[in-house]
Amino acid sequence: MKRNYLILTLHLILCLLLAGCWSKKELTDLAIISAMGLDLNAKGEYVSTLQVINPSNVAGGLQGGGGSKGPPVTVYTATGSNIIEVNQIASTKLPRRRYYAHTNLLVIGEELARKEGIGNILDAFERNPEFRMTAVLIIAQGAKASDLLKVMTPVDKIPANKIIKNLRFTEEQWGEFFTINLQNAIKDLTTTGKSTVITGFSVSGSPEQGKKLENIQDSDPETTIGATGLGIFKEGKLISWFEGKTARGTGWILHKLKNTGISFSWMDKEDAVVYQVIREQTKSIPKIKKGKPHITIEVKAEGNIMELRMPADLTDPLVLLKMEKEIEKSIQEELLLALEEAKKNKTDIFGFGEAFHQSYPKEWEKLKEEWHDVRFPELAVDVKVDAYIRRTGLRNNANELQ
Amino acid sequence: MPSFFKLSQRKRLRSKVKQQKEDPMKVDELTEPIYPLLEDQLSFIKRKTGNSADVVVRKASFDEKLGIKTAVVYVEGISNSQAINEFLIQSIIMNRELHRKSPVKDPFDILKEEIVALGDIKIHLEWDGLFQSLMSGETIVLVDGCSKALSASTRGGEQRSIEEPGSQVTVRGPRDGFTESIGTNISLVRRRIQNPNLWVETMKIGTVTKTDVSLVYIKGIAKEDIVNEVRSRLKRIEIDSILESGYIEQLIEDESFTTFPTFYYTERPDIVAGNLLEGRVSIMVNGTPFALIAPTVFIQFFQSVEDYYSRAYLATSLRFLRILIFFISIIAPASYIAGTTFHQEMIPTQLLIAIAAQRETVPFPAFVEALIMEVAFEILREAGVRMPRAVGSAISIVGALVIGQAAVQAGIVSPAMVIIVAITAIANFATPSFAVAISARIIRFLFMVVAATFGFYGIILGILVLAIHLTSLRSFGVPYFAPLAPLVPSGLGDSVVRTPIWALKKRPSLIANKENQTRMGENQHPRPNKSRGMVPRNPQEDQE
Repeated sequence: MKRNYLILTLHLILCLLLAGCWSKKELTDLAIISAMGLDLNAKGEYVSTLQVINPSNVAGGLQGGGGSKGPPVTVYTATGSNIIEVNQIASTKLPRRRYYAHTNLLVIGEELARKEGIGNILDAFERNPEFRMTAVLIIAQGAKASDLLKVMTPVDKIPANKIIKNLRFTEEQWGEFFTINLQNAIKDLTTTGKSTVITGFSVSGSPEQGKKLENIQDSDPETTIGATGLGIFKEGKLISWFEGKTARGTGWILHKLKNTGISFSWMDKEDAVVYQVIREQTKSIPKIKKGKPHITIEVKAEGNIMELRMPADLTDPLVLLKMEKEIEKSIQEELLLALEEAKKNKTDIFGFGEAFHQSYPKEWEKLKEEWHDVRFPELAVDVKVDAYIRRTGLRNNANELQ
Repeated sequence: MPSFFKLSQRKRLRSKVKQQKEDPMKVDELTEPIYPLLEDQLSFIKRKTGNSADVVVRKASFDEKLGIKTAVVYVEGISNSQAINEFLIQSIIMNRELHRKSPVKDPFDILKEEIVALGDIKIHLEWDGLFQSLMSGETIVLVDGCSKALSASTRGGEQRSIEEPGSQVTVRGPRDGFTESIGTNISLVRRRIQNPNLWVETMKIGTVTKTDVSLVYIKGIAKEDIVNEVRSRLKRIEIDSILESGYIEQLIEDESFTTFPTFYYTERPDIVAGNLLEGRVSIMVNGTPFALIAPTVFIQFFQSVEDYYSRAYLATSLRFLRILIFFISIIAPASYIAGTTFHQEMIPTQLLIAIAAQRETVPFPAFVEALIMEVAFEILREAGVRMPRAVGSAISIVGALVIGQAAVQAGIVSPAMVIIVAITAIANFATPSFAVAISARIIRFLFMVVAATFGFYGIILGILVLAIHLTSLRSFGVPYFAPLAPLVPSGLGDSVVRTPIWALKKRPSLIANKENQTRMGENQHPRPNKSRGMVPRNPQEDQE
């Protein structure tokens, strides 16, 4: 009996070895792809750009390693007629197994976004279990995705990380651009009453110089990348770019804004006072008035006075009330600007249609037919802004120079 | 194959015959009655003990006229020679006139009643009992012409004194520890439980060594069934020698196919006393400071005796820490292997890049790397334990340099792996029970194998198998995982958490006697005066 048990255990142990190491992948066999770019070439084929991390050039590495340091990332490109094919063709150049689980950035070239749109591309990423749906989606504004991914960046050595963090902190502190990941984009694409908005990054300086390691050895790199515009989509295709106040107005309406500075004129001096928003609440309330759709946008802002370049008695509540009025006016201006531009482009990026869909499902059946082209441009919108000054900083009054 | 088995069977038979021939203690002579003549008696003793130098024979005679010859026999070293000299030899020699006073009496009775001034005396009629007494340190008095012998308890000799125990050191708590002498050990427990219900059943186990083994329990608190079961298992033992309580443990445990101990062992009398009061029984063995405690549950190995002496909140958080430590010591290297070879997506990108950078130069797969480091550490540890103390420091220097520095600089192992091995090792040392720490060491390697084969899926499977195995174990019929599985709500107060003493009203219900489970009165929660003022210094002031 005991011998039988022994034989049984032996068999079990052997079974364990037979299974081998199922789906085992050693770290040294992985090409960790930090970002992926997609472009369209002249023939209409896809060009995929893979930004692969060189771990030993990123981390401090082992002591006594010595030798000259290589680039933190290496970029590989491949051409093919569909996404999967193009990525598999990339393996002809890559020394290791492609590993997408840490791909946190997907860059789409402007040409591809305009001509073909993003709707058809995203399917491949959604299907792949390795690819993260939380990966950030950006558009290469006025450039090819491959150019954007090749630029070496200082401080954050991995360019993909630089872009993601760049976007995250500008969203937190300025509010003009915001992070859209694959999941959000797909959700917007499949919703009738809402169009997608994706941040665009552009390369300033020569892309050729940006590829070189010397680019990050300068204190003032010749080639840099940064967020420059908000890409407005219609039916999955890029149609226009919003910039400046228009872009920030979009942020207000979409309730994406977290923290920003509003400047307004005081005593006839332009932009004399800066109001920093610290909290913001936006509501879009759909109503049907006399058979016509109507939207009321209510904005509640709360913030501090951060800068004062003209004398003003901030201890006087009446002055503050007057300032609040000014603030409300400039916020309203931004919102109306964004609305106007969106109406001009005939695309509802604010999701008003979706709001009607939820509040008035029956009426929506009729409205949705020509929502973007007819209904949205002639939609009546009321903007109500309520600003509040919470604090005025450590000083009461501005310095009066003698 | 079959011929091999036959051969070994034949061998076994042959050796049995040999044993019977050679074993001097089994010869029938021993069951014979004691010879009447002193000369015969002494020569028999000398023959039987092989003329051993430590067997001392002192001849003396009392009563001058009749010239009754007597002999005192004892074994030097294990007996108290001062007592023998003062209360035996001296009194025999001094009382030469005794016979005249009461002439009718048998000289043996005079000896017994009037000369031997020692407490515990026995009369032997057969050689067997005589030798047992002699060898346990008692002194034999033989009288010429009497076919019986008298033995007086003179056990003693050099012993280690009571010292602070080497294992299970505590900051707060008593400092005494068991010694190699069973008498001392029992006395240490009895001093803590001054109650006639503390019963000690002593038996001799080991056909050659005749080791004293005591079964200690508190009558009325310990479950009768468990005491009977322990007793009957002890009685069943037929072995030549018992040199340590580990022999007993392995001979009477419920399940031998496990790395987990089903006995708790300790060298602290306060732990034994505490467990006896919970209804457990203790088995003490002469010649070792380690007493066994049964029945044992798994959670006991995560409880330190200090838990009961310190505040409940501290004790509870320490118990959580110990369980965490146990898991770390089992699955830390396995998780590293699983994470870096199967589930890279689970590691944050920055950390993954850092680990990947370290592993760039490592020529081995993660599993082999972990195995090399773990085995190297086990070698170091074993060397550290066995090396003479003078060379011990050399080992640690070589170990630190070879593993910590050179291997990493040479790029053979990654620094991350060194960190993992170090955490595992420290976690292993921090486990309060050495017995469980050892089993964690073995199981760790099994977990590494399943992690290298199936990743985290394998680790979870391993944990499931481990849980099933642990819950299937029994210690004297008590489920090993009680009071968690089966769930005994009343026992949870002293399991993973330790509730304050005033909330521990009941003894463990699966272990203690059913009729005697309550250990304290109602309302033991401290209820100080509600007033916010200080306790009045002068009672008269308070009255005013």
